[in-house]
Amino acid sequence: MNAINSGISEQAAVVFDLETVNEIIENIYHYLNKHKEYLNSLNVFPVPDGDTGLNMVLTLQGAMAHMKINEKNYSHSGEYLEDFAEQMLLNSRGCSGVILSLFAQGFTQITANNDFSKENIYRAIENGDRNAYEGTENPREGTMLTIMKALSEKYAELMSKQDNPFAIIQQTIPYLKEVLNQTPEMLPVLKQAGVVDSGGAGFIVLLEGINNELGQYIDTGIPVPNLLRIGRITRKLLNKRLSELRKSPLAPLILNIDSSRIQNSRLAEALQNVRNMLVNLHVNHNNRNGRSLKRKKIIADLQYLDNSWNPEIKEKFCTEFVLESNAILSKNQLKEKIGHYGDSLIIVNANNKYKVHIHTNKPNDLFEEVSQYGTLLFTKVDDMKKQHRNFISDDEIDYEKDKSVFCIVSGKGFADILQKIGADDILCYGKNKPSVNQLVKGLNDLKAKNIIAASDDGDILMALKYAVTLCKSSVYIVESENPVSLISILMNISKDYDIHTMFEAAMNNVNNIPFCGIARSTRHVLSQGGSPVNKGDYFAVYQKKIVLADKSKERLMTNVVEKISATHTLVTIYKGADAKNDNNLMKQLKNQFPSLDFEEYYGGQPDYLYYLTFD
Amino acid sequence: MSKKIFVIVGDNLGLSREQIDYEALEILKFPVFVGETEYRQSEEHNAQWLISKFENEKVVAKSSTLIHNEIADIIERNRTNYDLFIHVVMSSGLSAASFLAAENVRKQYENIVPVINVDSRQAVNGVGSVLLGIIDLIKTNPNMSIEELEAACQQIVENTFSWFVLPDLNYLYRGGRIGKAQSLMGSVLHIIPLLGLMGNEKEGIILAMGKARTFRQINTMMMEQINVKMKEKSVSTIKRAITLQGYGDKNKEAIAEFMEKLKTLPCNEIIHGKGGLVDAVHYGPGAYGVSILL
Repeated sequence: MNAINSGISEQAAVVFDLETVNEIIENIYHYLNKHKEYLNSLNVFPVPDGDTGLNMVLTLQGAMAHMKINEKNYSHSGEYLEDFAEQMLLNSRGCSGVILSLFAQGFTQITANNDFSKENIYRAIENGDRNAYEGTENPREGTMLTIMKALSEKYAELMSKQDNPFAIIQQTIPYLKEVLNQTPEMLPVLKQAGVVDSGGAGFIVLLEGINNELGQYIDTGIPVPNLLRIGRITRKLLNKRLSELRKSPLAPLILNIDSSRIQNSRLAEALQNVRNMLVNLHVNHNNRNGRSLKRKKIIADLQYLDNSWNPEIKEKFCTEFVLESNAILSKNQLKEKIGHYGDSLIIVNANNKYKVHIHTNKPNDLFEEVSQYGTLLFTKVDDMKKQHRNFISDDEIDYEKDKSVFCIVSGKGFADILQKIGADDILCYGKNKPSVNQLVKGLNDLKAKNIIAASDDGDILMALKYAVTLCKSSVYIVESENPVSLISILMNISKDYDIHTMFEAAMNNVNNIPFCGIARSTRHVLSQGGSPVNKGDYFAVYQKKIVLADKSKERLMTNVVEKISATHTLVTIYKGADAKNDNNLMKQLKNQFPSLDFEEYYGGQPDYLYYLTFD
Repeated sequence: MSKKIFVIVGDNLGLSREQIDYEALEILKFPVFVGETEYRQSEEHNAQWLISKFENEKVVAKSSTLIHNEIADIIERNRTNYDLFIHVVMSSGLSAASFLAAENVRKQYENIVPVINVDSRQAVNGVGSVLLGIIDLIKTNPNMSIEELEAACQQIVENTFSWFVLPDLNYLYRGGRIGKAQSLMGSVLHIIPLLGLMGNEKEGIILAMGKARTFRQINTMMMEQINVKMKEKSVSTIKRAITLQGYGDKNKEAIAEFMEKLKTLPCNEIIHGKGGLVDAVHYGPGAYGVSILL
């Protein structure tokens, strides 16, 4: 996919048209989709809410769907992939979807110049890794981020041994699998559940998909530096006397080079000439003059090729920025100040604003210097948030209210309850987590200046945070992780107060209601106390830990109430979408605990059969 | 020379006549309609009577506004013996018509005898709080000018805060007094709303102060909010607290628990108020609460 420079390219060009790129993406998507269930099963809790695979698949699917209806013209695949990554972010679901999208965004920011050389891909991986880390609040090791970092490190290590970036990626995969197997040691929660990190596993599956698609483009060519080294040795050899040349042990080696492995045509031609000359030398001992002339030309050619090899040229970033400056009075003045940073400098000037395009190795140093002369309004390399703001700068919202509360919840029953106790709008997402786009739409539809937003799943938090960067309202996110927290928030805020007081009240009460989730195990695990929970058993999760398990649902619920309700007077049961055959459950509990009040509601949550709250 | 002041108040004040230590006072009785029959507070027709009708007969009751002539009649009968009339009126935000009636009477006597209409921004025991605060004021500062009295009454209004627990908001809704508490109605989830009338809120309408799932929670919430209000006003001791209760036997345990909790507050005086007929119309069975003067 890289362009050939005027000198020697380190790698033969593999150019993809957009149709091929789409086909490759589609195949990668299908590969990921095939492994979706495996990834979903790698869940910390043995409840059927593990949806890492699904989230990653939906993230890709959303971006693909957008690109299909997108009528934008792209000049090359680099530009296309950059837009694709942006769409991934907008359609990302769950933490895994957002982190993957952030990696893709960082990666494609670097390859937007359509440079898919080994070095540029390294920079792209590095930037993707950095972008994902920086975009993740409290990044933790043992997750997808660890695998991304490992990819970056292993790729760097393999760069000196391999020229083809696809081959390097291919060779990183076994190592990444080793790192993935170590993730349970990094995150105790994985160890307890006996699984590797699902996000990390998903990332590797994706790399495998990429490898399946691009593996065909991995050649077995001799790396350019090796060929140049051969060229240099040959030059030395050709400068020797003919008798020495004939006797040199290197001559047969050069003669035996597999020409099909030399992929640069000019080098191939030069080395072919060397071989021809050596053959002639052995076959024909006469015609000294002719040989001498040829020898000089070959030496000159090899010298020229050696001189034209400039690996540094690949070290440059395609960098753009807009500078607003009163200190700089002309394009020429700016050119003088920053020209030494690189080449391909283009400056467009209007009033006191300068739009600059430059290829440089040191974009950060460049930004630092130019910011001394004025304000940097836009940078292409690493200012993601500004890009986002730029993206929506034309949006106009007519606010209709000062403050609103926005809840994101999976169960329909909970949605009804929340609406009736004060939520202005509910995004009820069922089983599939909402995309960034859906969240942005939900937030914008409220037309409120200030919004308190909270979801029933911590996995939605990252997508929500990105949605907030695309929303013009001031959004205050309450980091809730379950529907009970949403009830607690709404029970404790009043819209009669200002947004800050509301937000403070929401934050103070997010974990106010003690609750327990009852679910059925989908595999064998260990409870908090180390006792086994068998597949098919019912178990209770309290404060994120499996505290009790039993084969009988009724017995489990009784034990849970007995254990947790000590100081409480009211037990509320929220039934999940799959809660069945429990007509006698309430009656039984009421009989067993006559001093407690019991209330039952339909929550409709897809993962837990019941939520029990204690007031 | 100290002024002779006569005080007028409606009977939705959460106190009985015996609980008010001031002689020059007359309590106006609000008309209450059950069906088409009008009732006024009496030995027979009291809060208990109406609550029992609510619980057993599912009747719907309504209250009417103060009647101009009845207010004017009090002034007319007493004007020769008093220098000033102070009428403590329930919040104009809850009953604009009652306050208007009081204002029209004031205008009617404009050049005859001065009348101060105090918009209490309260209802029931909150009105009682403001009333007792004003009586304290009159007793301790008998020489205040009318302007000074007006300003001081306003201070009392702004320092009076009430919290109510109404297990069924439909009574308030039917009486047209729901205010911002409407947001708490119609919940799928059974919630217990905490309502309030805050003297420092100009609108004088019922506010949604919170919601809980158990009475124990709501009692704790009330106590917390009282403490917050005291801190906000930099007050270490409550001058007076008047409780609200007496609407049937419902929630007896919760009310008893709250009354125990109240005792822990630094308070100069706790008066256990008595619910009246007109309050019962709006509050319904099992209502309780407290009003404090800081």
